[in-house]
Amino acid sequence: MIESFAQLETIAKDRDLAEVFLETDEEEHGIPGEQILEALRKRRGVMLDCVVRGKSGGQSMGKLVGNEAKLLNEAFQSGKTFLDPLTVKAELYALSVMGENSRMGVIVAAPTAGAGGIVPGMLLALEEERKIDPEKTVRALVVAGGIGSIIALSANISGAAGGCQNEVGVASSMGAAAVAYMMGGNTHHSIQAAAIALKNTLGLVCDPVGGLVEVPCVKRNALFAVHGLTAAQLALAGVDSIIPMDEIVEAMVRIGRSLPRGLRETAEGGLATTLTGAAIGQRLKEEANQRRAARAAERERIAQERKKGVTS
Amino acid sequence: MTVRHDRKVSILDVMGPVMVGPSSSHTAGTARLGRVAREILDEDPATVRFFLHPPLAATYRGHGSDFALVGGSIGLNVDDPRIPEAIRIAEQMGVNIEFKDEDLGEVHPNTVRIEIEGKTRKAEIVGSSIGGGVIEVFNINGFQTRFKGDSPTLLLFYRDRPGMISEVTRIIAEEGINIASLYCSRKQRGKDAFMQIDVDSPISDAALGRITAMKDVSEARYLDRIP
Repeated sequence: MIESFAQLETIAKDRDLAEVFLETDEEEHGIPGEQILEALRKRRGVMLDCVVRGKSGGQSMGKLVGNEAKLLNEAFQSGKTFLDPLTVKAELYALSVMGENSRMGVIVAAPTAGAGGIVPGMLLALEEERKIDPEKTVRALVVAGGIGSIIALSANISGAAGGCQNEVGVASSMGAAAVAYMMGGNTHHSIQAAAIALKNTLGLVCDPVGGLVEVPCVKRNALFAVHGLTAAQLALAGVDSIIPMDEIVEAMVRIGRSLPRGLRETAEGGLATTLTGAAIGQRLKEEANQRRAARAAERERIAQERKKGVTS
Repeated sequence: MTVRHDRKVSILDVMGPVMVGPSSSHTAGTARLGRVAREILDEDPATVRFFLHPPLAATYRGHGSDFALVGGSIGLNVDDPRIPEAIRIAEQMGVNIEFKDEDLGEVHPNTVRIEIEGKTRKAEIVGSSIGGGVIEVFNINGFQTRFKGDSPTLLLFYRDRPGMISEVTRIIAEEGINIASLYCSRKQRGKDAFMQIDVDSPISDAALGRITAMKDVSEARYLDRIP
């Protein structure tokens, strides 16, 4: 079992990183490499579906978000965006996936649903813009998953455990390693990309308004997809992280533990308790109570009708 | 020092699951916990009661955890597009659903206790959704254990006596099946006991029949990997 990034660097030196992860996963879990690749081909398909559907927008469950992808797409299609197409598409695809997620659509948790726009945003935009073979993207998903599985050895991948760094930070780190791989980088480049991306998300708190995966999650996915691309760019240029990846993960876990409970997905701090955030939270609570009361009344009505049916 | 998990999650667990949004810990993980309860019960549920640990109770509604828990408990997969409709479907099936708050102690924030009852049986689990759809069930029918649902598993309820483990493991060995891990616990010496055996490949009906027929076994339940 590969237990650390230091060990990964030694084992996977001068080797194809996806191949190494496929081999170790087969050893550890008995899932043949071809089966993993086939599953990830399908998951890439699910990601693409999200991108296609998500571009047209639509209101989220909590009605706070939904049209971000649509607006950016319209601006892009009419030539009104100023960033380069790769960056715009990374943002657009991340927003599309997160829009689908907020409507209870079918998505791929990568590594979580709340951070599920980042990896597809980065990888699908790069694949399209640089005309990369989709099969290479599938192998890059192996790399992303492999990096995440080593992080998950020491960290629980959830905002409740350690804040947003544990979700969006980890997703961005996984995506950065995968992008370095897609652009022809070696194992060292991928680990450095992961390190630079993760290091610069440390301390990111999880303070969702009303407790929903909507604000700030949807837009944050777009921004951190771009963050991951820039980390991969630095790593590929030969820039190394001074702090090794294993120590960054350890720091992330320590920071997560010292975060107050209110900043770990409870919606009891940060943005959730701003004037606007708290007002939205209150409104959502009231609406939920009304829905619950309506459901209870409906149940009561059905029960009464059944009773009547029996007596008559 | 960072606490290390004893087992690495697979690539497909990290880069997945394919699921209905919006939250892997609140929607996919909770659906899987509901599904575990349903699989242990092994018949159609008539009543399901969910006892939510306070942090989960505070956040579950906005994430559709209620739909997901109920969906899992009536047998829906995490990627089933009917999950948003699960409560209505359960009501149509005549399943009685209850949600309550309960302090479950020093546990992961996203922890739930589930009581599930069918026509002939009932079951109870306590488990956490620890992120990315990964779950840890640490109590089954009152017995301490560690169940993740990531491999085929045999659950055995029996009366504690010497030789029990060797008899069961012999049957499994004769099937040519490798045991990945084994947990035992009991309420009192010579009284109710529980064994969880995680295996690398499926156990045949014939072997399960032999195990069920063993002296002092009250119930044997075989669970596939929880999707």
